[in-house]
Amino acid sequence: MFLRNCWYVAALNDEVRDRPLGRMILGEPVVLFRAGDGTLRAFEDRCPHRQLPLSMGKVVGDALQCHYHGLRFDGSGKCVRVPGQDHIPHNARARTYPVAERYRWIWIWMGDPALADPAQICDFHWLSDPDWGAKPSYLHVEANWQLIVDNLLDLTHLAFVHETTIGNMALVEHAAVKVQRAPNNVLVTRWIIDQPAPPTFVKVGRFTGNVDRWQIIDYTPPAFLRLDVGACPTGTGAPEGRRVGGIGMRNLNAITPETETTSHYFWAQAHDFEPHNAEMTERVFEQIKTAFLEDVAVFTAQQRMISLRPDAPQVDINADAGGIQARRIVDRLYREEQDAAAHATAAE
Amino acid sequence: MAVNFRVELIWQGSDDNEASSMFLTSDGRVILQGCGISAQEREALALPRDGDLISVDRALIRAIKDML
Repeated sequence: MFLRNCWYVAALNDEVRDRPLGRMILGEPVVLFRAGDGTLRAFEDRCPHRQLPLSMGKVVGDALQCHYHGLRFDGSGKCVRVPGQDHIPHNARARTYPVAERYRWIWIWMGDPALADPAQICDFHWLSDPDWGAKPSYLHVEANWQLIVDNLLDLTHLAFVHETTIGNMALVEHAAVKVQRAPNNVLVTRWIIDQPAPPTFVKVGRFTGNVDRWQIIDYTPPAFLRLDVGACPTGTGAPEGRRVGGIGMRNLNAITPETETTSHYFWAQAHDFEPHNAEMTERVFEQIKTAFLEDVAVFTAQQRMISLRPDAPQVDINADAGGIQARRIVDRLYREEQDAAAHATAAE
Repeated sequence: MAVNFRVELIWQGSDDNEASSMFLTSDGRVILQGCGISAQEREALALPRDGDLISVDRALIRAIKDML
């Protein structure tokens, strides 16, 4: 199940250059490239002549040239050259997708192009804000995109999956979690008061005593999760809004379905302490990356089990509250999108 | 150390109205936030004399249908 009428991250901005990049998105092959003048383009990765992926071709000026017979397609997807003949068939056209470049990511709209509004792109300004140090990355994950969303909305797993990095038992003991559900948003807020800092926080924050720690997870469909996490020495007023003497980070996640069982996982770690210290950015990134790879092992194993028996029953626990609400929003948006498509078809 | 994991659910409708909270407790209960019913109200509304009664607003009922 994919939502189509929304922006997705298709690539890191430096992945897309003048050489075509092929990538499967929502089960559709897409080719991304920059034309000669640097303009970003996205086409269906399929030559309308004999179906060769256009990503095997090359950029020639402002056009993309197919590797097989040299057909060239301009920025609108229209074929402008067929070697050896003057006549260009009117249906020789590659499908195009709206694209945008923002926050060091390349965004793509896979639904009705008429509805694509770049103003709807989810805010990830921390990636390009000079007041923050940030490093983006990409993981290819052999798991359904919603398993990753579930994982990020439930932070109790940190105590078990990440006990040597960002988790500790304080996350599941004496924890009060608030789940706020708006029509198109879920906010999970959690404070852990007067508890030891986890190993990663000690390394980068140099805490010597207990901390007041926050985890605020902001979910926007289909799969954008912005985590505001950090800690301050206990009793310095962080729960009341005075974040002093501590560390603040944003863990930024944009998951793009590749297929029903595989995902493109774009993520980044941003920090507000020593923002211009590249060594610190790298250190923070590496600490979190370790935890991310622990998660990937979990998603992948979950997907293997789900694929073996898709209808196996599942039990819900209190910690699933955020993920359950996110899935309900997606279900509703999917129904609305399907209804609108059926209505449009009936009206034609 | 005993596990004491508690979740507060808050629902906000499209009209920005926020329902009062529901709490999922570690012992399996769902606790709703509402107003207690006084003895006078019980009598005026012909409600049962015994047991704990609370009144909740309709937004909370929608929230229960939507979130639980």
